[in-house]
Amino acid sequence: MSPPPKHPILLVDDEPEMLFSLQGLLRREFELHTAESAAAALEVLQQHVIHVLLTDQRMPGMTGIQLLRQVKAEYPATVRIVFTGYADIKAVIDGVNHVGLYRYLTKPWDPDELIQVLHEAANWYEERAARQQLLADLRDHVQAGELLAQGGPAPVAYADYVQTGRHLLQRLDRALATRSEA
Amino acid sequence: MPVVEEQAAAMKLLIVDDSMVTRRLLQSCLQKWQYEVEEAEDGAQAWQRFQQGDFPLVLTDWLMPEMDGLELIRRIREADRPGYVYIILLTAKSEKENLIAAMDAGADDFLAKPFDAGELRVRVREGERIIGLERKLAEQNRQLRETQAALVQSEKLASLGQLAAGMAHEINNPVAYVTNNLSVLRREVQSALELLRTCRRAVAGLPNLDPELAAEITQGEQACDLAWLEENLPRLFAASLDGLGRVRKIVHNLRDFARLDEAQLDELDLNAALQSTLEVLGHEIAVKRLAVQVSCGRLPPLVCQPAKIHQVFHNLLLNAIQASALDGRIELRTMPGQDCVLVEVQDHGCGIAPEHMPRLFEPFFTTKAVGHGAGLGLATCYGIVRDHGGAIEVSSQAGRGSTFRVRLPLRPRPPELAARPSSGENPTP
Repeated sequence: MSPPPKHPILLVDDEPEMLFSLQGLLRREFELHTAESAAAALEVLQQHVIHVLLTDQRMPGMTGIQLLRQVKAEYPATVRIVFTGYADIKAVIDGVNHVGLYRYLTKPWDPDELIQVLHEAANWYEERAARQQLLADLRDHVQAGELLAQGGPAPVAYADYVQTGRHLLQRLDRALATRSEA
Repeated sequence: MPVVEEQAAAMKLLIVDDSMVTRRLLQSCLQKWQYEVEEAEDGAQAWQRFQQGDFPLVLTDWLMPEMDGLELIRRIREADRPGYVYIILLTAKSEKENLIAAMDAGADDFLAKPFDAGELRVRVREGERIIGLERKLAEQNRQLRETQAALVQSEKLASLGQLAAGMAHEINNPVAYVTNNLSVLRREVQSALELLRTCRRAVAGLPNLDPELAAEITQGEQACDLAWLEENLPRLFAASLDGLGRVRKIVHNLRDFARLDEAQLDELDLNAALQSTLEVLGHEIAVKRLAVQVSCGRLPPLVCQPAKIHQVFHNLLLNAIQASALDGRIELRTMPGQDCVLVEVQDHGCGIAPEHMPRLFEPFFTTKAVGHGAGLGLATCYGIVRDHGGAIEVSSQAGRGSTFRVRLPLRPRPPELAARPSSGENPTP
């Protein structure tokens, strides 16, 4: 059996050594993409699905928070983390109020903790993706129910319809039980 | 009558006259008005007395044997003594030229002989007034110089703070990735070593198959002393990470000094905080068998950044402990003040050398041996107390001990305007 696919993560920092160092730490457990500027990060996002984005705050040109504002608008599913050496109160406030930050991490970091946080972020991405899927499935189910009720040619047999309904309920139950706050 | 030096009223006068009758008359008048009087028979004797005592006011005759009044005045004026000496010349001469010569020599006032008691009283009182003013001026001057020194000091610390902030920023990034790289290396080298161990199992049968390669491997193992590597690599990594941890701590303390991190405000029971700080330092206190006397005043709750205030007293107490000898004594006092609380930490240890006092709060200033303290403790205290709008001062005697006094306002306020040298130029709204 092949190992589960690695989560794609995008690292953004204007310092190449920082990116190289993080690659060394994370390469075994994640599929890594790197960018040395916000602009380069946006290019990567156009070409790859990214589950977690970890960006430095202070970069020439666009700051980390500015980048994440755009990412939130264009790629809302990507989990957003700021990773900075500066305790910059304004950046934190912007991050909380406008960017929907998952975490605000400070450098220097503890290697094990960073890996842990990234796993949690990836899980959060999966949970939300699963919820989106559940919502889509529920919509399909309701639509199928409407078709059945009209008595016309239905996509499913009634017995299957009921069975699917039960499954959906169980999934909803689980999703509500594991719901964690972003 | 015993003379109390501190009493300002007992001003000492020196009266100089070769006539005993004049001296007696002067003395009886002046003593009646509560002056302390000494007398001399001529200029030479007066000069001797003057050098031995402290006379802010001198009443002297002009014409005397040995040394006349004018010569005495010249000597007094040339003498390098602290404080001004007010000199009244007693004389029968009243010609204009005489008066000019006397003033040239340095006399302040004249009293005509034979003197009138009332005139004597007002002239001496005038002298007393001038001396009082002069002393007040000298005192104000001294205070001004001290204030200026304090301003220069706070300005210096402010620019050091900016330097520290810049350094903390610059050092942080490389420290972050070097630390990370070391962790990665430790992990990867471990993997590589495990792989190597697996490979070496294959080497056992190698001499038969490929003796040359086997020899090369043995030689290589000896050259890099593989056994040593396997044994000591973990220690190399651990020591390096530990060293980097220390660098991180220094950077962190620098950030505290330069107030880069803003902490939450909260109410703090200062007495309880000191108690817990003492508990934290219990081991250090016990090792030196120190007696810590705590006297807590009733304090209102203090609004502050509790963690930072804890740190201030931790640093001050640690310094006191380190300054103390075995079986020493440390006193800890808290008391309420006007809209503030006061804390004193007093030790009876080695004290601070006078030449170290001006640099005490500078970052990286330390008298400890290299490796025994980075010199950030007091700098951090200064920064934190300043950011709360308080003040920290120290008095110390080398060999006798030191007392640190911290004043904290009940609510933090911006650092006092007086601490900013440029504030005088800014119009206050």
